[in-house]
Amino acid sequence: MKNIRSNFIHTTGYSALAALLAITIVLAGCSSTSGGNAQEGNQAAAGEAVNNSKNASEGAANEAKPEEPLELSIMTVTPSTPPAADDNVIKRAIEQATNSKMTIQWVSNNIYDDKLNITLASGEIPDLIMINDPFGSTFRTMASQGAFWDITDYVKDYPNLTGGIPDKAWESSKMADGRNYGIPRPRSVKEDSFFIIRKDWLDKLGLQQPTTTEELYQVMKAFVEQDPDGNGQKDTTALASYVSPSDASNSIGGLGPALGAIEASFTGVNGNWKWDEQQQKLVYTALLPEVRHSLEYLTNAYKEGLLPEDLLSLKLSQARDLFKGNKAGIIVDKTGTMKLIYASDLKKVVPTFKFTDFYPLTKINGYSPKGIGFNGLLAIPKSVPEEKLKRILGLVDTWMNKEVNDLQLYGLEGVHYKVENGKKVVDSDKLKQDNGSDFNQIVNVLRDDTLLDKAESQEEIDAILYAKKVEDERDATSIPNISAGLYSPSADLAGPDLDKRIQDLKAKIILGREPLSAWDDFVAKLGSDANLAKISQELTEAYLTREGAATQ
Amino acid sequence: MNAAPDSRPASAVKRQYGEGGLRKGKGRSFASRLVSSFKREKSLYLLALPGIAFFIVFKYVPMWGIVIAFQDYSPFLGIKESPWVGWQHFERFFANPDFLLLFRNTLAINLLNLALFFPLPILIALLLNELKEGLYKRFIQSILYVPHFLSWVIIAGLTFLLFAKGEGVINDMLESAGAQRMDVLTDPDSFWLMLTLQSIWKEAGWGTIVFLAAIAGVDPERYEAARMDGAGRLGMMWHVTLPAIRGVIVILLILRLGDLMDVGFEQIFLMYNGAVSQVAEVFDTYVYRVGIQRGQFSYSTAIGLFKSVIGLALVLLTNKLAKKFGEEGVF
Repeated sequence: MKNIRSNFIHTTGYSALAALLAITIVLAGCSSTSGGNAQEGNQAAAGEAVNNSKNASEGAANEAKPEEPLELSIMTVTPSTPPAADDNVIKRAIEQATNSKMTIQWVSNNIYDDKLNITLASGEIPDLIMINDPFGSTFRTMASQGAFWDITDYVKDYPNLTGGIPDKAWESSKMADGRNYGIPRPRSVKEDSFFIIRKDWLDKLGLQQPTTTEELYQVMKAFVEQDPDGNGQKDTTALASYVSPSDASNSIGGLGPALGAIEASFTGVNGNWKWDEQQQKLVYTALLPEVRHSLEYLTNAYKEGLLPEDLLSLKLSQARDLFKGNKAGIIVDKTGTMKLIYASDLKKVVPTFKFTDFYPLTKINGYSPKGIGFNGLLAIPKSVPEEKLKRILGLVDTWMNKEVNDLQLYGLEGVHYKVENGKKVVDSDKLKQDNGSDFNQIVNVLRDDTLLDKAESQEEIDAILYAKKVEDERDATSIPNISAGLYSPSADLAGPDLDKRIQDLKAKIILGREPLSAWDDFVAKLGSDANLAKISQELTEAYLTREGAATQ
Repeated sequence: MNAAPDSRPASAVKRQYGEGGLRKGKGRSFASRLVSSFKREKSLYLLALPGIAFFIVFKYVPMWGIVIAFQDYSPFLGIKESPWVGWQHFERFFANPDFLLLFRNTLAINLLNLALFFPLPILIALLLNELKEGLYKRFIQSILYVPHFLSWVIIAGLTFLLFAKGEGVINDMLESAGAQRMDVLTDPDSFWLMLTLQSIWKEAGWGTIVFLAAIAGVDPERYEAARMDGAGRLGMMWHVTLPAIRGVIVILLILRLGDLMDVGFEQIFLMYNGAVSQVAEVFDTYVYRVGIQRGQFSYSTAIGLFKSVIGLALVLLTNKLAKKFGEEGVF
């Protein structure tokens, strides 16, 4: 009897315990998921509430516009930390102006490539997603499989999309089938990264602006040896440069922006493929003797300390720091970066530094690059229904209106700017604090007026005008990258390895770890490489097809 | 697993296996045994249910994702629609001239780690054990543990600050001492050693915890007995402490060998540059470069799968070896 009872207590005890445990765990699981949901729900609800109240007020004010605000998710890149919050005033203002409710995922530009690929792989793609490299294999494959809307036939209904974005941008962002799978973010073709030099250093050492690689070498040498910063020590380098593994496939010669500009000045080719009239095909630049010359040039430059000693370990921001910190006198970048990135910091280190000392070079060996006309595009996945697609296109179209676009460029009146003598005087710190320029990463309009309009001093105006003059001069002869956007399936497979091999070998030679003859051996082998021959053939075909289509 | 002699009272055996004990169960099929054992031990199974469910839902269900290693996977088409390509990605990987290079680098970095890093925590634990309990010992231990909590980003930054050719502190010191500046960060010859030293700096102290715990479990009477037999401190260390923690050492060694194909991705990625790529490219960085950056998901999954298979084989092998030498093993 006692046994039975104890057994009973025993088993029921266990069961009760087990049941209890199971329930707690299940509950814990539920509560954590529902917690997450609840949070999202709350956010959604909050958004809803704002919408509703906005609707209500709008509805009261404007009964002719009964349409629900467009709800959409966006993913794009941001250079700022922290990014604009969900209740950012400028975002709210844009939402109001475009009748939308945006959920924006801001991703740091350091990791955008990775994040984008993972997002695309996950299959849960935001309604509007910024594709920074539309010719990358992931997006290309997905677009050809129909994962994104072909917007070619839709855009004509939107005046700003057709009128506000240059044809060049639409043209060069087409995929291999000649269709547009996203709205290009236009950039001026005049604006591409090229040499910018410290004019105060040039003047101090009594040097002229260099126009050839030889003169550039002399200037660099003087910048290192003749103490341009005047502190009595030989502690400056010349060209703020770096070679990062991530640049292997997307810079000229795989050498990153700065050294790539030098190689391009030698070859006169923007990109890694040169059109050879005689052979009627695209030739890989690594095979050209000019690349060997530039390699020799860079090897000497490194040996003489004209490039940073830690060339291979530096990153973009560290190279910029060299220039900002008065340690290097030449950098390769866009002229538009002057105030935003360099000059303001440099002024703190060198009080005598003027905006006009940020001095862009026109050409080296007659070469300067022409921009591709756009920087990434905004794609819309097929999971978005057609009705919504049209509304999203409409949203971008409205956003490109001057009044709406002004919201991110100038901010709100009374908050970010005040009007004095009919001119908007912007509080640039406040505007930066509210992430105004971040919204350019979603919709950007080509506007010549704004930089000058926002300039705060005559000195700045002079610098901007000079940069414009240089860009116009460059534009007459600048070289476009003819291989941009050409598709070769073999390059997709074999390209990255080849690029990496080239970058590694060049890096070793520049550092003096391998002799220059190693390059000759490599080129000799490369000349008979089957993969490269196939890539060259495929690219040539794609190029001829495109050019043929363009002339017809 | 070796059948340990059942020391439970007979009644317990009876409760578990029913009347007739073990013998009766043997003839029946696995399923029927499972069913009857389930009937008997409902509450125990119920207790285990959340755990089992967790493993099924979060570990085994996602594991089916490895089928994309045999497909030409496209995110848009999904697993169901993506075309089946069989062993194509494996063939491409093994035919890749870089395969041997990756294999060599991965193995070399890990073996170097095993040879130089693995014994250190044991050594440090033995040394710590000789210290008297007190403020000093705790202070030393804390100091040893701190680097573990620094992320690799910080350590890579520190390494750069110390060893960079241009601005490195060590190079500045060398120069003022009249020596040549050295460029270790881009030197392929010293890269592996640099990685190992970093790992030692970061993890050697933290690694002592397990061994210290094992040492704490040693019966003090054994030391007493050893002392009676005339053993000195070194003698006790050699004859008492070390044999007592041998089991733990073997288990950790087995687990470590299971990771022989894994190299800390972050560490290498941060130390990586063009000049050392010949010795720095390992499976993990390759998977990242090809899989994430180039979007070749199937190919990188195939490589990952290959790595896992090797890792599993190594664990099984070393486990078996350990048992052969009379150690317990992990399972």
